[in-house]
Amino acid sequence: MNNAILIVDDMEINRAILAEGFKDEYEILEAENGLRAIELLDSNSNIAAVLLDLIMPEMGGMDVLKHLNENGKILHIPVFIITAESSEKMLMDAYNLGAVDVINKPFMMNFLRCRIGNIIELYRHRNDLEDIVKEQVERLSKVNLSMVETLATLIEFRDCESGEHVKRICGLTEIIMTAVTEMYPEYYLPRAEIEKIVTASILHDVGKIAIPDGILNKPGRLTKEEFEVMKQHTTRGCDILTQIPSVMDEDIYKYSYDICRHHHERWDGRGYPDGLVGDEISIWAQVVAVADVYDALVSPRVYKAAFDFDTAMKMINNGECGTFNPKVLNAFNASADKIRREEAVIENN
Amino acid sequence: MELIAELETLGVNTTEALARFMNNSGLYVRMLGKFPAAVKDADVLTHFQAKDYETAVATAHTLKGVTGNLSLTPLFKAYTDIVALLRANEPDKAEAILTEILPVQEKIIACIEKNS
Repeated sequence: MNNAILIVDDMEINRAILAEGFKDEYEILEAENGLRAIELLDSNSNIAAVLLDLIMPEMGGMDVLKHLNENGKILHIPVFIITAESSEKMLMDAYNLGAVDVINKPFMMNFLRCRIGNIIELYRHRNDLEDIVKEQVERLSKVNLSMVETLATLIEFRDCESGEHVKRICGLTEIIMTAVTEMYPEYYLPRAEIEKIVTASILHDVGKIAIPDGILNKPGRLTKEEFEVMKQHTTRGCDILTQIPSVMDEDIYKYSYDICRHHHERWDGRGYPDGLVGDEISIWAQVVAVADVYDALVSPRVYKAAFDFDTAMKMINNGECGTFNPKVLNAFNASADKIRREEAVIENN
Repeated sequence: MELIAELETLGVNTTEALARFMNNSGLYVRMLGKFPAAVKDADVLTHFQAKDYETAVATAHTLKGVTGNLSLTPLFKAYTDIVALLRANEPDKAEAILTEILPVQEKIIACIEKNS
């Protein structure tokens, strides 16, 4: 528990009175100017409150407040301004920099001990609550991920090749998504969003649960009718996701839904199910599409042997697996070395 | 505690001060002992004579805080007025109060130095 009070005043007499008043309940730290105060704030993690004089040699109290704003500690440590009735403007500035209260000289020790004690108690509760909320958010996002993984495992049970496929799609999506957002500002997304997209990519084939075994695991080429059924895994996947949105993170749900439906769309509009053209297809669905095609090529399937890396790259670039966004292809090609390494890592595991 | 009794006669509110020092009279006496040096460091009169009113108000402000905390009541009242007058742009009135209070301050300092 934070149990130290930092007293910052250039006059020893003032520090001694405050120290005497608080020494039975708190560890006392003293600083005679702002510089020393900052040193103590940076090197002590148990400070529960700061009692701060404004006018001091070396560095004044305002600069200490600014420092606490810069490193965010002002939100967790209450700062009381010690003053013999400073100018109104100065006190207003101090409040605006996050000071919680003003202590007037001469000190009224009994009131002071109550006031400071109460605020320290409030801050302790607030800091504890923040920790609890943070912990719960972390737990919730773990639950989210494990649920997404559970759904993906279901597909694995139906379709023996998909378990490894799902892992590789995550890795590939991460690599290509990072490259495309770094190379093309129009596709920029913050890191946190990319992480959600990677999680969402796990579910791209969830609709395969609804495809009959005879078609899903058919060793030979699919007939036209069978292929039409197979194509439904995109829309059936969305049907499944709509049944579970309330238990999923809203953003991951949104990305999963879009990727499920559109990871077989193509840049020239010749994909399915909606025949979207160009950037009508979201950038994440475009990226998962390339990742999905690449992985299908380099993996052995019941109906074909695995292609090697160079052949797979060539086939994708030649448009043998449909047309892709040239920018996504550039990002994909630029990531070739990383993709090769990823492959090696997964094989070794 | 001769010092405390003697300071009473000079208008110092020692009862109030002792409450502030959590009735630790030893600490109060020790901090009174720091007062003469604090005054030497904060020579308001020199700043007045140099017409450096900005430093004068800062120094008077420091002494206001210290004299308040030690309950050196006559000095505290004087420095409170000096700070207010300087802020109100009335340096002459402020200097008059200073001139009036300096002998009292000397007496208090002499009393402290004699007893320590």
